[in-house]
Order: sequence, then structure tokens, then C-alpha cells
Amino acid sequence: MPPSQKPLELILARNLLTSISTPSFLVDGVGTMIFYNEAAAALLGRSFEEAGQMSAEEWLATFGPFSREGEPVDLDEISLTQAIQDGQPAHGSFCIRTARGEEETVEAAAFPLVASANGTSGAMIMFWPRGVSE
Amino acid sequence: MKIKVWGARGSVPAPGPEMNRFGGNTSCVQVTFRDESQLILDAGTGIRTLGLDLADTSQVGIILTHLHLDHIQGLMFFPPCFRSDAEITIWGPSSPETSLENRIARYISAPLSPVEVRELPCSVAFREAPAAEWRIGDIEIRSEAVTHRGPTLGYRITDGETTLCYIPDHEPALGAPLGSLGDEWISGYDLAKDADLLIHDCQYTDDEYPAHVGWGHSGMEDTLTFAHRVNAKRVLLFHHDPLHTDVMLERMESQAGKRWVELGHERKSIELAREGTEIEFEGTGPLVQAAEEPPSTAGTSAAAELSTRG
Repeated sequence: MPPSQKPLELILARNLLTSISTPSFLVDGVGTMIFYNEAAAALLGRSFEEAGQMSAEEWLATFGPFSREGEPVDLDEISLTQAIQDGQPAHGSFCIRTARGEEETVEAAAFPLVASANGTSGAMIMFWPRGVSE
Repeated sequence: MKIKVWGARGSVPAPGPEMNRFGGNTSCVQVTFRDESQLILDAGTGIRTLGLDLADTSQVGIILTHLHLDHIQGLMFFPPCFRSDAEITIWGPSSPETSLENRIARYISAPLSPVEVRELPCSVAFREAPAAEWRIGDIEIRSEAVTHRGPTLGYRITDGETTLCYIPDHEPALGAPLGSLGDEWISGYDLAKDADLLIHDCQYTDDEYPAHVGWGHSGMEDTLTFAHRVNAKRVLLFHHDPLHTDVMLERMESQAGKRWVELGHERKSIELAREGTEIEFEGTGPLVQAAEEPPSTAGTSAAAELSTRG
């Protein structure tokens, strides 16, 4: 069974993210990471084509964010989750782990995508690297 | 199912002797179903002459893809609007801003119009098209937002085993080449998948399109790629640019035919829409194509009973 077509707002968001050089991710309404752009691929060290879609749990286990002790942060403790759960914008600073095994501190902002007919269908998350964590 | 094109031009009416073979009226397509009920797709200036053909019809259903002027301009000159026995139902896209009626009333009101909606002698109802599957009588209709400027819907209309897809204003390749996208990332894909007839935007040549990226319309290669990806059985290229004369459109039709064959389809399964084009088709493929008619200037033939139920 082929995957069903994404809502138009997600399609347009993906096209936008493809065109910008800010590392950016697109998640759907249940938190599945459904796309990230080439700038994010450069940050993570793995292309989206290689990684494919990831559930929120897979994403957390692979890239984080991680606590100071190196443990994945619980999903509900991440402020960006609000962008999906509550349809609210959110901002946070995190430590993520790249595919190269490096830890990066990033600033992230999440923008919920709300279509009048569908409610919150996902969110765009943009990352700004702050450097390698000590 | 049968369709008749009453207007295939995009953006603005384009009358003139150099436009006669394709016609200058803007978007309007009449659909007739197995039970002889009918729907009208869009209310561009082509709906005026269609309305002259509906003298014996009291119930009229109109589905609007969006409210750009080339899709509603004919409403104010649609003869059934000025008949007290006419019951008109208009479906269209919703907007968070205000109701469909209020948005259409911006056009049918002063100073743009000598009459207001409330002054029309007919009975008119406005219904916002659900973002889901819905029915008008026995006809299944699916509407979805598609890539264009402003709230815009495409429609998938199914009567039994036969499906028509109508996306007259559409730029599915905006921001990303269609060839790079999976099916689920293509605007309008589910609407058009395996349609027996796809009526789709093809406003620009491939040379013109780069100067019009983001305007909400498609170049020919993108249109054909979209039609190929969705496996449309038959394609009617639509929404002709007002600058395109008959000679230019015939050249585009020839190019589209060659490219369509290169993509593995039959040449006869693609054409440019002309005013007067009639196509009768069913789920197993098109049956009959009536001879092209010249653009009409007045409705003269007896209309079939228009019995849209909703």
C-alpha cells in the first residue's frame, strides 16, 4: 500500500526547506520526522535519503537530544514537542549527537503548521549550531 | 460521464480573431453524469454562454476551485442568476478569513457590480467544500487543497467506475522538481491518481515557466510529468495563457503530443482544451470524442435537464 499523500502544508514546507541553507526538519502530526534538508544532513552527517523517515523514538535514540549524562531526553520534556502537541511555537537549546559521533549544541525553533481544515499537521524545526559541546 | 468545455483560458478573457479556435473565455466546464444530472466546474466567463443553454433548468450546481476572478467572473452574467425559478448551489474553498458567500460578495457588490447577491432573483446557497469526500446525489466528490496562490481546491469526481479530476490552477513542481519527489509529496497526486480524464493547468511553455515560478501555474513538462506520474488515462490541457494565440497553442499541442508519446502514452489521449470540446468517457477508457465545435457566442441548443441534487 503506497503512503498516502501528505497535506499540502507539509508538501509546501518540504519544498521551502529544500530551498534554504538553514538546517531544518519536518515532522508530521504524530512527531515522525518525515524530512530534513541538505543543511541538516551536513550537520548530522547523514543524508535524509540514507536515513529515511524516523519515528520520534528512533530519532531520539539516534540523534538525541541527550542529557548531560548522555541519556536521551524524554520526549515530553522537549519543549519542541509543544509545537506538535499544543500547536504552539517553541524554542530550545539542546545537545545532539551526529552520525560521526560528535556532540553538537544547537539552538532550535519549532513552528507548528496549522491548516484551517486539518488542525496541526506537523511542524518545521530549524537548527542553529552553536559548536561542539565540551 | 461527459464534459463540455465552455472556457479554457486562464487569467483573463482573451477574445480576438487570433484566439477563435481555442476560445477566449475563462474557466468553465460542464459535467454530465449517467443519470443526466450535471455540475458546473468554475464560473469563468464561459459560464455565461453555458447559462444561455440552461433555460429549462431550475436546479444548478457550481463547484469553484478558488475565487480568482478568472474563475468567478461569469457568475454575475450567468442567466439562471436572474431567474426567480432557479435554485443555485455554489461550493467553494473555505477560508479562515470569512465565509464563501462574503468572499464572493466582494465581487458581486458595489462598486464592481450593479447588483448585490441579496438582490439576485434566484435562490442561491453557498457551501464550503469539505476537505474530505462528500456526495452530491450519487456523485462522489473529493476535494483537496492544491499548490496555487490562495486557498485553492482540486476535485476528484467519481460517477460509478468513472473518475474525472479537475485541477485547472496548479503548480505541483513549485520548489522541487517532480522527478525528485515521492508520490506522497506531490500536490494533487491522490486526487488525480488513475483518473479517466485529467483536466490540468498547462499555462506556460517550458521556456516561459522560469519567469513565472511561484505564480501558481505549470509549464508543459511539469504538467506532463504530473499526468504521467498519476497515470492519467486521458489528459486535457487547460488554463491557456491569454497571450497564447491559436497558432501558439497548436504548436504546444503538437509538442505535448510528442512528449506524451515519449512517456509511453497514446498520442490520442492528450489534447489542449478548446471551447466546445466535448469528451464522453467511462472507467474503462474514453469512448467517444465529439467533433470540435467553434466557440459559441450564444446558447442555442436545447439543454438537457439540469438536475443537480444536493
